[in-house]
Amino acid sequence: MDYYLSQLINGICQGSIYALMAIGYSVVVGVVGLVTFTHGEVIMLGAFASYFAFQIFGNNLFLGIVASFAASAFIGIFVYKVCYERFFDAPRHISLICTIGVSMLLKNLTQIFIGANNFPLLEIIPNRFFGWGTVGVTLVQIIVIVTVVSLSLLLFLFFNKTRWGVMLRAVSQDKKAAALMGINVKLTTLAGNCIGCGLGGIAGMLLAIYYQTLIATMGGSAGMKAFSASVLGGLTDVPSAALGGLCLGVIENLGITVSSASFRDIFAFIFLLLVLLFKPEGFARKKGVRP
Amino acid sequence: MSYADLILRKTPAWLKFALLGGLFLFLLAFPRIYPKSYAMGVMCRILMYTILAGSLNVINGYSGQFNIGHAGFYCVGAYCEAILATRFGITFWIALPLSGIAAACVGLLVSLPTLRLKGIYLAIVTLGSSEIIRLLFLNGNDFTGGPIGIKNIPSPYIGSFKISKSVHFYYIFLFLAAIFFFLTYRIIKSRVGRAWVSIREDELAAKSLGVETSRYKASNFMYGAFWAGIAGAAFAPYFKFISSDMFTLDEGFNILSMVIIGGQGTLIGPIVGSIIVNFLTEFLRPISQYRLVVYALLIIVMMWIRPQGLVGASNSILASGRIRFRGRKKSAGETK
Amino acid sequence: MKSVLLEARDICQYFGGLKAVEKVNMQIRVGDIFGVIGPNGAGKTTFFNICSGIFKPTSGEIFFRGESINGFAPEKIARLGMARTFQNIQLFKFMTVLENVKIGFHIRTKTGMLSAILRDRQYREDERFANEKGIEVLERVGLMSFKDTLASNLPYGIQRKVEIARALALDPKILLLDEPVAGMNPIETKALSDFIIDLNKSGYTIAVIEHDMKFVMNTCNRILVLNFGQKICEGTPETVRNDKGVNEAYFGKGIIAGGNS
Repeated sequence: MDYYLSQLINGICQGSIYALMAIGYSVVVGVVGLVTFTHGEVIMLGAFASYFAFQIFGNNLFLGIVASFAASAFIGIFVYKVCYERFFDAPRHISLICTIGVSMLLKNLTQIFIGANNFPLLEIIPNRFFGWGTVGVTLVQIIVIVTVVSLSLLLFLFFNKTRWGVMLRAVSQDKKAAALMGINVKLTTLAGNCIGCGLGGIAGMLLAIYYQTLIATMGGSAGMKAFSASVLGGLTDVPSAALGGLCLGVIENLGITVSSASFRDIFAFIFLLLVLLFKPEGFARKKGVRP
Repeated sequence: MSYADLILRKTPAWLKFALLGGLFLFLLAFPRIYPKSYAMGVMCRILMYTILAGSLNVINGYSGQFNIGHAGFYCVGAYCEAILATRFGITFWIALPLSGIAAACVGLLVSLPTLRLKGIYLAIVTLGSSEIIRLLFLNGNDFTGGPIGIKNIPSPYIGSFKISKSVHFYYIFLFLAAIFFFLTYRIIKSRVGRAWVSIREDELAAKSLGVETSRYKASNFMYGAFWAGIAGAAFAPYFKFISSDMFTLDEGFNILSMVIIGGQGTLIGPIVGSIIVNFLTEFLRPISQYRLVVYALLIIVMMWIRPQGLVGASNSILASGRIRFRGRKKSAGETK
Repeated sequence: MKSVLLEARDICQYFGGLKAVEKVNMQIRVGDIFGVIGPNGAGKTTFFNICSGIFKPTSGEIFFRGESINGFAPEKIARLGMARTFQNIQLFKFMTVLENVKIGFHIRTKTGMLSAILRDRQYREDERFANEKGIEVLERVGLMSFKDTLASNLPYGIQRKVEIARALALDPKILLLDEPVAGMNPIETKALSDFIIDLNKSGYTIAVIEHDMKFVMNTCNRILVLNFGQKICEGTPETVRNDKGVNEAYFGKGIIAGGNS
């Protein structure tokens, strides 16, 4: 019983990281209106940015967040220019294949110029454990959950209470109408893309801190999980994406109790398949993105 | 580039056949002309990838389904042959078609839940399936060799003649590729091929005209998977060793890049793609870690300037929706 | 009285809270040219989509040739003999006119993968059939000069005709046309009206959605009027012209319409 309980806690913690990845993904897809394969690599680059921040400035969590957000947002500009800017009116598969190319590019460039091996990231957050016997939470888990919840709140306030947030929501619903209202659609789309990427970057940092390691190939599995979780919200609805992330984390961790740890990624896939089979459009409040 | 389309369109069929026949004869004689075994190795790779890229093109280019997990079917074919040969002693000539059929069945399994999915949803499911297939073989312990893979895959025999050298396999791959293109050509130029293209161009219109889109999408997937399996099954005794890390997603992207760069929706596209990408592999050997970077850049450039690929179908939704013949739209039938 | 070909009983289509179609009854008989009219947003295209199987009705039943076709897939309904065209022209843009029409013969041919590979008699017969009948259809519709033109290069009015030709390739029992004269000038409209009457004389039952009142009044022998998803009238052009509900729907109840409010 204890084992299941601690796996549940692991699930909630990892689930919150997945939720953040999925939130970032749905913001990008929602605002830009095009589906992407690059989010995994954006997450990975954010992780590396935080790694270097920790190397240079010590275990300063706040700086890590800033570094990962900034790096991923910056990469977002590159992705936008290459994959989205000229393909808004083209058939969907063209920008999609372009993002596959960019994701290959980013992954391999990282392997060449930073390294293809595992980079250890030990004890950024001190190893403290709060609990009874074998069941409890670690300080890392608490901080991860707190970070994700705070960011979600900030995002909520941003989207609903600020002018920029309203502009982003307008652009995500109808670009032409937004343009008619005087909104600079290009700039807003770029901003939305970068914010979503930045959030992915922070998620990458959290992944690195939680697993205490990072590697250039982590993007593939991360991107897949971000996607699987966002499908619950039709790829564009942020709260459903967050919920999807949490569910995914819990299902994954409870799932490996009955099979083996090497099947972890298979659960993300099964989750995805089940959602696609039973509710392909997700629970989006606005109509989901055209695939 | 548009001149290429004009040339392709205006060449009469008999000339195309003559050229192809000539090419085939040349390829038959090639090992006599240039007998270096290094060249044989490269040619084997090119021919095998022609089948892999060609079968992926049948799925992506002709029926418009977005499959990026082709490595999975390749994996099934290779492992099937290896297991049948090493664990059950079955001869290559029987294991080959059996592996193809196995891959086709897996193709059906992957296709069924995706029949109503489109675009990225379908793509992600194929991606996930490819990985799961690979993981299943990786974790199959002794039966599939586990992480070590399967070694000492026996060479095929014709009577008492052992097929072990590159030049022997060159002919096997050449004949498999020729059969593949012949069969595929016949299917494409028939009601079946037209149904596939109609699904690619406008699935709703196709349905409203009575095309049973689900059945055709599934059969298309199975056909593509079958040939990927055949390629894998021929690869296993050629390389004599297989393991699951030869069939990762990177390999899937490798095959995909051949289709994207060479061209989708035409029969020559994957041939050109295989030649280009495999030649690049050889040229880039000194800087081999940049190989995938180069492919990635080529994919991006291709999407920017010619989405249908170098010799892909310009008359299709695969191109960016615009056909430009020397700056103004021109129909196929206009003579002025 | 001729037999009923297509019948809708109490068809409702709700999209969440939106009542797109509300309890619509309709009977199309063999040999009719049946018009479906109504203001924009009245639910006409949604109704056609239900008939041709693209939507499954929330409630109610559809009968085609006496058989219930509720929930049938569009391809199955096409096989039973219903062909349609679309409001925004869904031609295969990158195929020629003849290639477009040849897809229409899919149901009437049988070649499968094996026949294709062997090029056996089935294959040869089917190819000959598709080519010959394709030319026949194009001649009938008067599109032979455009046979090898890419569909997207054609003028709008010709594209609409190609779509109709393609639908005719199915040799359908009923032809559903969604706004066939949209965007046409009066001369083209008259030409298409004559064409449809001509088709009808050769034995095709036709249902048309249209906005152009003159076209509908001149072409159709029975009309269904929809407004806000509901049926407000069904009958001959005379009946519809004089119906109070129809006049209100189009002209309102104000002074201009001749009312008293």
